Amino acid sequence: MGIETLIQSFANALVLGSIYAMVAVGLALAFGVMQMANFAHGELFMAGAYVVYVLYSLVGLPFFIAVIAAFPIVAMLGVLFERAIFRPTRGNVLAGFMATAGASFIMQVLVGQQWGVGLMRSVPVPYKGSAEFLGVAVSWQRLAIIPATIIMVGGLWFFLKKIKAGKALRACAQDTEAAVLQGISINKMTVLAMFLSGGFAGVGGALMAPIIPVTPYMGHVYAVTAFIVVIVGGMASIEGAVLAAFILGFIHTFVSTLYDSVTATMVGVLFMAVVLIVKPTGLLGHVKV
Amino acid sequence: MSFFSVKKLSKSFGGLQANHMIDLEVEKGEIRGVIGPNGAGKTTFFNVVSGFYAPSSGTVEFKGQVISGLSSSKIAKMGVVRTFQRPALFPDFTVLENVVVARHLNADASLMNAIFRHNNKAEAGNLKRAKEIIDFLGLEQEQDNLAANLSHGHQRVLGVAMALATEPELLMLDEPVAGMNSGEKAIMVDHVKKIRDDWGITILLVEHDMKTVMNLCDKITVLDFGEKLAEGLPEEIIHNKKVIEAYLGADEIVA
Amino acid sequence: MLKSSSGFSIQFWLPVSAIFVFLGMAPQIVSAYRLELLTIFLINVILAQSYRLMTTTGDWTLCHYILMGVGAYATGILAKKFGIPFYMAMPLAAMITVGVSFLFAVPLSRTIGFAFFIASFALGEFVRHVWLKFHNPFGGARGVNGIPKLEIGQSGDWYFIDFWEPTNFYFFTLIFTVVVLVILYRIDRSRIGNAWKAIYADSELCESIGINVARARIMVFCVAGFFAGIAGSLMAYLIGSIDPHNFEMVEMVYLIIWVVVGGVKTFWGALIGVISMSLVFELTRPLEEWRPLLFGVILIVFLVYMPGGLETIIPRFKSFFVDLFGKKEIS
Repeated sequence: MGIETLIQSFANALVLGSIYAMVAVGLALAFGVMQMANFAHGELFMAGAYVVYVLYSLVGLPFFIAVIAAFPIVAMLGVLFERAIFRPTRGNVLAGFMATAGASFIMQVLVGQQWGVGLMRSVPVPYKGSAEFLGVAVSWQRLAIIPATIIMVGGLWFFLKKIKAGKALRACAQDTEAAVLQGISINKMTVLAMFLSGGFAGVGGALMAPIIPVTPYMGHVYAVTAFIVVIVGGMASIEGAVLAAFILGFIHTFVSTLYDSVTATMVGVLFMAVVLIVKPTGLLGHVKV
Repeated sequence: MSFFSVKKLSKSFGGLQANHMIDLEVEKGEIRGVIGPNGAGKTTFFNVVSGFYAPSSGTVEFKGQVISGLSSSKIAKMGVVRTFQRPALFPDFTVLENVVVARHLNADASLMNAIFRHNNKAEAGNLKRAKEIIDFLGLEQEQDNLAANLSHGHQRVLGVAMALATEPELLMLDEPVAGMNSGEKAIMVDHVKKIRDDWGITILLVEHDMKTVMNLCDKITVLDFGEKLAEGLPEEIIHNKKVIEAYLGADEIVA
Repeated sequence: MLKSSSGFSIQFWLPVSAIFVFLGMAPQIVSAYRLELLTIFLINVILAQSYRLMTTTGDWTLCHYILMGVGAYATGILAKKFGIPFYMAMPLAAMITVGVSFLFAVPLSRTIGFAFFIASFALGEFVRHVWLKFHNPFGGARGVNGIPKLEIGQSGDWYFIDFWEPTNFYFFTLIFTVVVLVILYRIDRSRIGNAWKAIYADSELCESIGINVARARIMVFCVAGFFAGIAGSLMAYLIGSIDPHNFEMVEMVYLIIWVVVGGVKTFWGALIGVISMSLVFELTRPLEEWRPLLFGVILIVFLVYMPGGLETIIPRFKSFFVDLFGKKEIS
């Protein structure tokens, strides 16, 4: 691998890791707070991409407004999941998970019927051109994902550590009974967790809308990756999710460059299997999956 | 070769040492009680010797073979079976079905037999033996009731019936009369005596209820603070100064 | 529950006989196209019942459809590349599926519940990617095509049966389905079947009475895998070509829908699920684009409001008919 390919791959890996992180933290948060495993997390990602498609491509709002709008819109979808699916199935992780599989079907059909299924909606690239350094070119569009992720994940960190509601979320994740005894409302926490989970997934999809084909099924592969990331990182650990996101982003990018993306996925799964055998709680987790 | 022996058994959980260097020997055909005040480490001791935990150090041996560290199902196969303090039964099966399932070790549980049923005689034998055990323990009336519908006392007896179904040589009872009224206690004591007297099964039990223990056991081992405090016949134990102190506290000494 | 002889009531044999008559006469009644659908339905019955068997220990996997794929690929490769006739290829493929099931089961048996579920998904996806990547022998994305048709003898022989004929293959599959159902029923009612149910009820208790729980879970996984392999074999011969797209996650979700809708507590639940959902699937063909949405709603509704499945309301139907016709249950 020549030095240029190396640097190119390194940059691509950072971008990929950022997207993985953006999508995975929401999953880790939801699972940590109340064992809510969302099969349709990829569809929340997809919803964010469609928000950008509609608001930016169709309506003509500025790109970054569309991205910011994706957060509350998809966050509300997350809340809908919580009320309609996770709350009635609370206590039964498998039931909630499979019910969200049903939700993924529903969302795919609704989006497909509204905006077309077969044709990929393409979103024009708002930040054209690329940054050139060290003989390597990375498009601004993709590079922008890195600071966006830093801001969002940093904001989440601040929220969880310093803001009362965030601390309540962490309390609920650590010990639900104790949290209840301290007067924390479980229902409020689950709604908040799914709100954030949806919001982050939505922004992830929104950022990727100009980069990848926008279809009703675009979210599937990102959901699968998000689950692998969260399992590797530790099911309920946000820091673990971020760490695992970058590790897996690097693995995927470099293996893809050396071989192909199918092999890259296989290596990712193998890596997850090894982590699970060596440390079943995940890299930074303490909850056994 | 001793029938059942515990040698220098120690068990720690993290920083907490629950059992320390306990030695114990049970003879074949004995009924042995293990008692001690709250926090003495009885439950831990029971869980280690019955195979639920591996010891931190020391061994548990049965008929010369080391059983510490083996899985419960392996130990059961060797003839050592325990009962539970919690209601341990299969709630959706009837009493008879529960005991028949517990005949697993004495049955043909192969897939071939499941499909072709060529071994029907064995199952008929198991059904007969299950009924025998149920009659022996006085549960005939409840035979076709769902296990979930039994009274607490009957559920504990069912637990013993299931343990007997494995044809054990050594039966370990986890607080067999806990939560029972005096009538149920008397019945359980009778059952345990019969199990040893009629069927020759050795018994090791852990218990809080002093009267039951004195009534039932040939020999008693007393634990305190995770160590063996005293051991001997019931009359000896009841007059043992150290035992009395352990139970009542050092201030009062009852002669 | 432990009765090993089948003391079935008339309420059982009446509808079952009616179904048998219909199934026997199907080639005369329905078109060739519908007959092929019916054949696929029978394969789904085998698959669903094999999955249901595994759930008796409480183990739900996401890799079962992939195991069917292992059977299908094995059959396709054995038949096409090695020219092995069906009566050897099918058992061989089923045993290969058992082998893969075992390889899955050993690590999986160290996990339970959600971990088990997700890990089984990962293992399944890994296998699917192996099919995608390796052109030799799996054919990569194009898969295995031109699987030799099932036939006994050569044309011209008096005993020649060409199973490419929809009717012939239909009856071939029907016989398999009946035999598989009988075997699975007997296993379910046997000592080992009850041990699996006991494990679900109280695995700690099972260990203490001598049931090796880990080994039992591996065994039920492999038995379920065997029949998934059979289903895959039949599918390979029916369709004639298979590729990784046939075995994507969406198919696994449908399998779970059948089993959830039908219920897993009784043996017949899975069958009820496949029948009802297949009917819904066919009847909604005009609304094809909206179909996944409908099934998504069905899955959610059942999981939230009727997690026990349709089988839980059958006793109510039964007593309704008893009142109506005044028949006494002979059981």
